Amino acid sequence: MHPVIRLVNRNLTISLNKGFLIWQIVFPLIYIFVAGFAYTALIHSVPFGNKSLDYPAFIASGMIGFNIMNSTLISGIIIWNDRRHGMFEQILVGPFTRSHYILSNIYTIGIVGLISAALITAVGYPLFFKSVEFNFYTIPLVVFASVTGSILFGSIASIISTRLQSSEGFNVVINTAFLFFAFVSTAFYPAQGAPEPLSTAFYLNPLTYLVDVVRAGMFGNFSTFVGIEMIVLVVVALILFTISTKLLSKLEI
Amino acid sequence: MAVDGIDLSVNSGKIFGFLGPNGAGKTTTIKLLTTLIAPTSGTINILGMDAIRRPLDVRKKIGVVLQQPSYEPTLSVEKSLEKYGMMWNVERKTRKDRVEELLSAFDLEEIRKIKNDDLSIGQRRRVQVAREFMHDMELLFLDEPTVGLDPSARRGLLDFIKKKVKEGLTIFFTTHILNEAEYLCDEVAIINKGKIIAIDTPNELKNKFGREKTIKIRIPETKKDVQGLLIDVKDYEIDFNSGTNITIRSNDSEEVLLKILQILTANNISIENLSVMPTTLEEIFLTVVKNSNASSN
Repeated sequence: MHPVIRLVNRNLTISLNKGFLIWQIVFPLIYIFVAGFAYTALIHSVPFGNKSLDYPAFIASGMIGFNIMNSTLISGIIIWNDRRHGMFEQILVGPFTRSHYILSNIYTIGIVGLISAALITAVGYPLFFKSVEFNFYTIPLVVFASVTGSILFGSIASIISTRLQSSEGFNVVINTAFLFFAFVSTAFYPAQGAPEPLSTAFYLNPLTYLVDVVRAGMFGNFSTFVGIEMIVLVVVALILFTISTKLLSKLEI
Repeated sequence: MAVDGIDLSVNSGKIFGFLGPNGAGKTTTIKLLTTLIAPTSGTINILGMDAIRRPLDVRKKIGVVLQQPSYEPTLSVEKSLEKYGMMWNVERKTRKDRVEELLSAFDLEEIRKIKNDDLSIGQRRRVQVAREFMHDMELLFLDEPTVGLDPSARRGLLDFIKKKVKEGLTIFFTTHILNEAEYLCDEVAIINKGKIIAIDTPNELKNKFGREKTIKIRIPETKKDVQGLLIDVKDYEIDFNSGTNITIRSNDSEEVLLKILQILTANNISIENLSVMPTTLEEIFLTVVKNSNASSN
């Protein structure tokens, strides 16, 4: 078995514990079903391209992007825990290179991101099945968003985990960053109608782009703007991935 | 700690002890030998391979127990052994057998289902050392493996290591506990301030540096002035704390002993007890490091 596959196996085993899985499913479920239906009275429908989505369908599709982002915290947590519990050095004195380690983290977050997207799609499907328009190019859009989004947010989590020295610092920074990403985005509410500068801030946030691409895939609403958002996602993901790889390869032992 | 001009050669199938005071360069040397860091100059040859050019090939054939703890907090003891075997590409059936063998050898059966995070420091250390035997290797680096272990676990580990060496494993072993090195090692190097200051078998080191022997003589209480009788004898101490104890510390301790025995016999003073303290590796270590520090100052 290839060393990277062995490390991915190990990463999945140590990360996918009951607590994490419950968090990954229960938390979005609460949002989809509780917030989704509770806010329907306030937000009747959300215009999306040439469609009008009801709010539960809007938030359920937003939760796919949100969950992809959330699941990539795993990347930061793996690196953080490996440094804290001595496994980083132990792996590097084993039959692995730093490249194996970095690649295994990328594959792990890609897999977790895809599983996460699939889970929320399955759970949220009853809410958006009326509006859904899956076809041969929309499904790849969702997969693209899952993988690119995982790499992007996984890289951010990795950068944070390589730069910080204390557990408290790691938790504070990662929670603050991901709180900003979650709530200053179009995952929970549309940008239209939001006051300035909030609606502009939405588009400084990669989660907005990720969620827009997921929705374009789910509801068959591809446009030039979504195409631009995809390019932005790829460029930002590549830049952050390069930075995180460099930091990880220079991490002192 | 930087290391400088270290020239070591370790024979296969032997236990090589690497000793030194805190900050002497032991861990740096282990990091160099295990390819965790690269040297600024020089060569490192491990198992016939250039460790600077082929670090991965070297790492595939060695095992390393680092000084710092390393563990997967969320995994149980048996799962962490099993997963470590998987990481080393050990076949599933072999993994299963080895997990059972190591749980038993390291007395971990009772805690097999407990998560690493919930173990004591000593238990975690036992798991860390046991885990390294999940895979095959030709050379094992043990950096202070007995830290945190109770005496029986420590002895169990040392005996397990001895057994593995009999089966052909080579071990590079660092410790602060010098009677462990004495018990275990075929050859010993002492490092101080980044340089090797002595290297030989424990017995040869004792012959080279351990000429001073300690002899203790205990005599019953007497009204005679023992100190006065021994006034012409050098290199001895006497104390009257609990009986009369004469301690000889000399490079010529046999001669001093002879003189004292003659005086005691001539004065009809009997001997209650006489013991010769063998030179320990600890004494050698202290002497060698002290000499090295004195010469570098």
